[in-house]
Amino acid sequence: MDASSYSRRMLQYVRERHPRSLAGVLEARAVDPRRFDEYAALFVGWATSAYGEDVIERMVDAFVLFSSDVNLAQARYEATGRYERLTYKESDDAVYSQPGVMRDYLLGVYLTNFMWAHHMELSLLFEDRFLPSIAGESRIIEIAPGHGGWGLWALHATRGTSLVGFDISDTAVDMARQLASAAQLSARASYAQRDAMSITTDIGPVYDACICSFLIEHLEDPGALLALVSRLVRPTARVFLTGALTAAQVDHVYEFRHEAELVVLAEQHGFRVLDMRSVGPRRTLPGARFLPRSAALILQKRTHETW
Amino acid sequence: MADELARLTELFRIVFDDDTLVVTPETTAADVSGWDSLTHVTLMLNVEREFGVRFSSREVAMLKNVGELVQLVASRQHVR
Repeated sequence: MDASSYSRRMLQYVRERHPRSLAGVLEARAVDPRRFDEYAALFVGWATSAYGEDVIERMVDAFVLFSSDVNLAQARYEATGRYERLTYKESDDAVYSQPGVMRDYLLGVYLTNFMWAHHMELSLLFEDRFLPSIAGESRIIEIAPGHGGWGLWALHATRGTSLVGFDISDTAVDMARQLASAAQLSARASYAQRDAMSITTDIGPVYDACICSFLIEHLEDPGALLALVSRLVRPTARVFLTGALTAAQVDHVYEFRHEAELVVLAEQHGFRVLDMRSVGPRRTLPGARFLPRSAALILQKRTHETW
Repeated sequence: MADELARLTELFRIVFDDDTLVVTPETTAADVSGWDSLTHVTLMLNVEREFGVRFSSREVAMLKNVGELVQLVASRQHVR
């Protein structure tokens, strides 16, 4: 299949089966059509190698379901002014420890990296600004990799790098391993089921780069995550951190309202913010008072007090 | 189910701001201008309020046409 055949097939399926979702997907492709097609070929290519050609339609169904989940949660958040769940345990019980729920959840999230317009923009930042900062032979840690797509992309785009990933969900670890195998990156990627927040003193500051995508808003104490990352990475290491602001989801617990909250947290825990991008969706719910944003920060572990 | 369809038609007219809008069981998103994933959620929350029911995300996502929505509402009305 050529680079655009995956996106053509997905768009055709969205058009026929999920016409209400077509406008959003077309917005995402319009951000950068060439790279949209490339990302589709890369990510969906791995998925079809892992699960077979039929997975494309199943992934799109999962994406639509996940997006509906998000939109519905956002609408209820608009009505109440608060996220539905308040503790990490509630999310764990309802989502992370439920294999059936988690499989579709992960397949859906996997596609949001390029099929949501505002996440497409974060993917461009990842490719343009973060990946070039990863030196050869770097050791990368991915905290809560979920499907594993971000980290595998980093391995795919760099030479001689290796990655370890810790996720609380067995289902996520299985998927990340399967995609790593499909991407022929198993020799450089290892994953373990573990609550990342339980990593305390047994792993020192040995990593040259860290990826932690959309975990921080799932935690009751986001500062603890930044403290953990700070302990795990070497001085001058680069970190790709993403988080959601006033963006409800079935398992979002911590409500960030302002971009500065993420910046301050990072600075308080020994990082300098090198790059930041905060993006909202092109369309919002009618009469919305909250703009759901996704923010990505590229951080550098400080070596001195201020730099 | 004619009653449900009539009440849903009124909701469609409000959400899509079109007093002349007519929906039938066969009506899909392709037939109604502006019926995207976001207006769909707005519509469904209005339906929840109008009929005093609550839908799951899967139910909201997988509705193919107005007929399925009518059936879903009717099934909930019978449960209550």
